[in-house]
Amino acid sequence: MILTLEARAGSLQPYLLLVPALSILVGFLLFPLIWNIYISMHNVSLTTILGEWKYVGFKNFSNLLRDPDFHMSLQVSLLFVGGSVALQFFVGMVLAVVLNQQIWGSNAFRALFIIPWTVSAVITGFSFKFIFSDSFGVLNYGLEQMGLNPVAWLSDPGMVVWTLVIANMWHGTPFTVIFLTAGLFSISSVVYEAARIDGATKIKSFFYITLPLLKPFIIINLILITMWSVNFFDLILVMTNGGPLFASTTSSLYMYRQAFEFGLLSKGAAAGFLLIGMNLVLAYSYIRLFRRKERTVEIRQM
Amino acid sequence: MSNSNSLGDYPPVTKKESSTNTPHEYIFKDFKLILIIGLVSLILVATSLTPFTMVHAQQPKQVTLTAIVAEPKERWDSLFADALTKLRERHPDMKIDIDYRVLPYADTRKQILTAMAGRTPIDLISIDQIWLGEFAEGKFLSDLSNLTQSWNRSSEWFKTNWDGGIYNGKVYGIWAWTDVRAMWYWKDLLNQSGVSPDSLRTWNGYIEAAKKLENSTKDKGIQAMHLVGASHSPDMWYPYLWMLGGEIVKQKSGHPQKGTYWFPAYNSTEGAQALEFLSDQVKAGIKPQINHFWGKEFADKKFAVMLEGSWLLGHFPRNESKNFDKSVGMIPMFPVPKEGDTSATMMGGWMLGIPETSTNKALSWELLTIMIQPDVLAPMLANYAYLPTQKPIAEGTYSTQLNATIPYYKELISMLSIGHSRPSIAEYPQIADNIRQAIDEVYLGVKEPKQALDDAAKKSAEVLGWS
Amino acid sequence: MIPIEKTLIYSVIAVYLFITLAPLLWVLSTSFKPNQEAISFPPKLLPDAPTLDNYLFVLTNPNLVTSLFNSLLVSIGGTGLSVAVSALGAYAFARFEFKGKNLLMSTILGLFMIPVVINIIPLYIMLANVGLLNSLLALVLTFQILIIPLNIFLLKNYFETIPKELEEAALIDGCSKLRALWHIIVPMSMPGFLIAAILSFRFSWNEFVLPIVLSNKPDVMVFQVALYQFISLYRIDWGYLTAGINIALIPVVVLMLISQKRMIRGLTLGAVRG
Repeated sequence: MILTLEARAGSLQPYLLLVPALSILVGFLLFPLIWNIYISMHNVSLTTILGEWKYVGFKNFSNLLRDPDFHMSLQVSLLFVGGSVALQFFVGMVLAVVLNQQIWGSNAFRALFIIPWTVSAVITGFSFKFIFSDSFGVLNYGLEQMGLNPVAWLSDPGMVVWTLVIANMWHGTPFTVIFLTAGLFSISSVVYEAARIDGATKIKSFFYITLPLLKPFIIINLILITMWSVNFFDLILVMTNGGPLFASTTSSLYMYRQAFEFGLLSKGAAAGFLLIGMNLVLAYSYIRLFRRKERTVEIRQM
Repeated sequence: MSNSNSLGDYPPVTKKESSTNTPHEYIFKDFKLILIIGLVSLILVATSLTPFTMVHAQQPKQVTLTAIVAEPKERWDSLFADALTKLRERHPDMKIDIDYRVLPYADTRKQILTAMAGRTPIDLISIDQIWLGEFAEGKFLSDLSNLTQSWNRSSEWFKTNWDGGIYNGKVYGIWAWTDVRAMWYWKDLLNQSGVSPDSLRTWNGYIEAAKKLENSTKDKGIQAMHLVGASHSPDMWYPYLWMLGGEIVKQKSGHPQKGTYWFPAYNSTEGAQALEFLSDQVKAGIKPQINHFWGKEFADKKFAVMLEGSWLLGHFPRNESKNFDKSVGMIPMFPVPKEGDTSATMMGGWMLGIPETSTNKALSWELLTIMIQPDVLAPMLANYAYLPTQKPIAEGTYSTQLNATIPYYKELISMLSIGHSRPSIAEYPQIADNIRQAIDEVYLGVKEPKQALDDAAKKSAEVLGWS
Repeated sequence: MIPIEKTLIYSVIAVYLFITLAPLLWVLSTSFKPNQEAISFPPKLLPDAPTLDNYLFVLTNPNLVTSLFNSLLVSIGGTGLSVAVSALGAYAFARFEFKGKNLLMSTILGLFMIPVVINIIPLYIMLANVGLLNSLLALVLTFQILIIPLNIFLLKNYFETIPKELEEAALIDGCSKLRALWHIIVPMSMPGFLIAAILSFRFSWNEFVLPIVLSNKPDVMVFQVALYQFISLYRIDWGYLTAGINIALIPVVVLMLISQKRMIRGLTLGAVRG
């Protein structure tokens, strides 16, 4: 009887191995999900939660989609997520590549760059709220000292999203740095040597060797940081509470405020589902986008 | 480059002794992994369940009252400590404890909502006056009407404060203490700019003073007037609405479901006029402040004049309260349109209520009444510069104690007569949000006051169910 | 490497180092200022009279110390549980073919996309019904949702890069599958386990939104929530707060520093199979 690693048909082993993980996820994620589905189809708010829950079908969703504040929040989310992901990714990529060169102290620098990611979102929010404060912030004070005009970081509706993007970049870039560095480590130096012998410059080898080989890492990284930016709200809540004039209310913050500040739990749950939907769509888009590109690159390299 | 072929770094695979187990018995044979998981879980279960089991193993007469209250913590520490001592004295046969959780403002509300949803028994909660309508409507709160009747102290309350705890004719909360917002100014800064404090009393005078002050304080890095631009900006606008005779909401008949219900009234001509004053302030160069430090910015002398609540006193060192009025002046009013008009202010503070889920209602009520007894409450008020909502403390012997420790106490108390409170209706948070948006739009010059208020009122009407 | 490259590289590092560290240095320096004058205007970079009082205050406050201990307990316990549970699941995905495998994997990743905050009330209700409110065990279990899907994904990819022949050789010798997992795969995947452990620890340690509702009893409070008491409506005790922040940074930073190299190597194999 030769034992192979493949399970015989009908074997329970894989399922048993998954039982611990699945039972936790089912209990702590699936149950809340179902609860949320239920309340999103009913009219549940602070004033009706102990009373009667009227069934309303998809009215919460349609109301949400018609709410101009929600539309606004989608726009803000677009800016916030787009800006955050772009900054985190590009800055992270640059740092990862830069630190991968043969320079003294790269490990120490990498270690230092990690620290922002280890501070919790709430604390980061409070610290930056203070740093970016119009009248008393260190940043504006520094600008004035240098003879420049102070910037209305948090009180100018046009500026506030970008301030938050900066704070989010500070907080989240380390993850990308680590993740992409790991990717860079997986590319053996032999490949670069060969390219150099063939006369490729460093820039060329970056675009034609490094990037394609990093593809799997890039996809996963983008999916994760996008999802985390979409779901992120504690930082924004602390720094601006969505103001001024909703210019910093992302969809996630919108969801939070509807549910907990206004007590409109059904509306909040419906918004939550739309957020999940957004995440799934974005993740799927990344995968499709890169699958297509992969084929193009392969053809080029032939 | 620090690349390495990862597989080469691994420890060599060693052959372990062969076992004669069949695959089916692997669960029982590979106990190491499972043992570790089990041990960790067991320890955690043990540590976490121990207090749980301890509660069950108590003697029958042990009672632990649970409470959820809002920050800051210290005031509750002293209040609960004092009240608990007295409660224990009254019930020598019982072993009473109070387990109170102090949470940040928003989290207090969240916790109450969550606890009620989960039907967790809670015995006492601090209620912000604007939550009362929602909580009462959602059946979170016990009806205290009968208890208050036999307690018979309701007449000792200031009417506005007592009414603030009533919803649909029933008593759901007792307004324990309050605060008012007044005008504070640094005497030296006003002197130096040649601005007389009296000029601050009228709208025109306030604006003129702002310009004059700005000129002289600019180089010191001090701003003339403070203007709230943070999320609670409506609170600082209501007084102007009220002093003109306006109201936030009014009863109206013809409601689709409720017959007669509240309808937004803040977009009246009075409202527009009140918002014009804020707009004029911005046009005169006063900047709305996005971040609010609750008086600390005044204590740090970043502003010459600030409309702020009486809690501002807490930012000044205690021991200098005697000299406080030498450096800081106070005018017990919000600026009025013209000389001689009656001013208005907004009253804040906290109420105490008993959740419907409480399993010790009688005892909790007793605790509540003790907490608001003058002899228990007055020392706390004196310590933290809060204002009383009941006449025995405001006017009786206790007032001397408060008078001695709180600067401008008499002036602050005098403001109670012009103090208004916000409506305790279920939809208030959303209405406040609509108003806040209108104020922001005016601050940013996006809309004219009347337009902004009308747009906000349209939203509020929808929120109130009038569409 | 030509000098221009070197200058460019070092300048990029310097700029970002400044951006990264500036706020942290501010936090560090503020923690040494006496609490009363912790923030002043104009802002002072270095404290006039550096003091350790803030740290002393935080470390001698029984509630804060308890919360620190609670955080450690929950994070370590949660890490152990998450890594073990994810490893078992990852092994199933890596080495077995079974019905619904892809669907299950997609579902697990899909569940990961849920914003945690909308689950607060249902989780509370569920825990209230089983009597697990205000318990560290509840926190340990609840925090798993933040990390199990990611760990399963990482470890699965990691396992897949280890040649099957090694296990098959052991199996032929009579080893059971689980034993093969323990004695062969685990030692070879240590870097991967390390990353999973670090991520689990970091997510558990930093969590704030869940504990503040699910366990706010003083004896089960976690450190991040306890720190929040320094931020009240009327004032922020920046001195104590920054001291607390620095203390909160220590475990995670230490972990990261020690295992940085191994962690990166672990990610290398763990993410290749996208």
